[in-house]
Amino acid sequence: MMKKIILIATLFLSMNTYALTQRIEILGMVCAFCAQGIEKSFISDENVKDVFVNLKEYFVVIESKDGKSIDEKHIRTIVNDAGYDVRNIEIVSDSVGEIRERYDPK
Amino acid sequence: MNKCIYLLAVLLMSHKTMIYAAPMSFKGSITSMSTISKNYSYIESSYAITSKDSLGINFNENKGDSYKLKAGEFFYLRRLMRVNEINSQTNLWLFTSAGIVNVKENLKDDDYIYLSPTLQFDYETKRVFSMISHQIMRVGNENFDTTKIEGGFSFYETDYDETQPWLLLKTRKTSTVDSKFEYTPTLRFINKSLFGEVGVNLDGDPSFHLMYTF
Repeated sequence: MMKKIILIATLFLSMNTYALTQRIEILGMVCAFCAQGIEKSFISDENVKDVFVNLKEYFVVIESKDGKSIDEKHIRTIVNDAGYDVRNIEIVSDSVGEIRERYDPK
Repeated sequence: MNKCIYLLAVLLMSHKTMIYAAPMSFKGSITSMSTISKNYSYIESSYAITSKDSLGINFNENKGDSYKLKAGEFFYLRRLMRVNEINSQTNLWLFTSAGIVNVKENLKDDDYIYLSPTLQFDYETKRVFSMISHQIMRVGNENFDTTKIEGGFSFYETDYDETQPWLLLKTRKTSTVDSKFEYTPTLRFINKSLFGEVGVNLDGDPSFHLMYTF
């Protein structure tokens, strides 16, 4: 019984301490001037740790702070408030740092 | 605090103004812009209260062969429509301005209170930009409507952190003040929050435009 409790507690704690990375495809993000509004909006969100913008492929990747999560509805609100629309949201396994390194190694 | 310092810096740096691109940014942002040219200049700053609405203040000066207009106004900007596609953006904007304009023509020197709407339509992709706007402004039995048409292309696509250069042709005419359209080939540079333009019209007069979002 005690083993089960420890296992469940460990699983629960681990779920809440990992950062979540989400890749968001944006509609209408056609210039850096547009994209900076989206980037600034995500950076100012208290649950977001890091943001990467890829203008050429029209997507933004956000990473939540440890133990925090950002639900899809909230993401859509942030993007809409910046003046744009969300095409697709998916969870990815890499961190924002790893994705930035892949697309923008300099 | 930093936002206020930057805003003051931009306002102080630029005392005259000429061009709109996306006239507002994200909710809660401040967009300041200024254009300096021989015949038409403005400076303005606006605050986006929602993703579709902003409130601002604008000072402008418009000179022709015989007329000279100087105006100060408050404006409300409403994004009436935006169509976001994966590789394009289409907008329809409505500016509603209210202010005071001083009209000088020979011995005439009068002040008028005015209310003036402007409709602006623009379409842009990562490589193409086009815009048309028309302002209706009638004061003292005179027609000072202004029409602007702009279009151009970017030389190449860039990454988010790089400066993107554009080549545009801008045209502009204010009824009564201008006898003909002014054509201004213009170089545009966009780097994140900073948006700059340098142009020279067909008479050789230079113009400079700067826009920054805080």
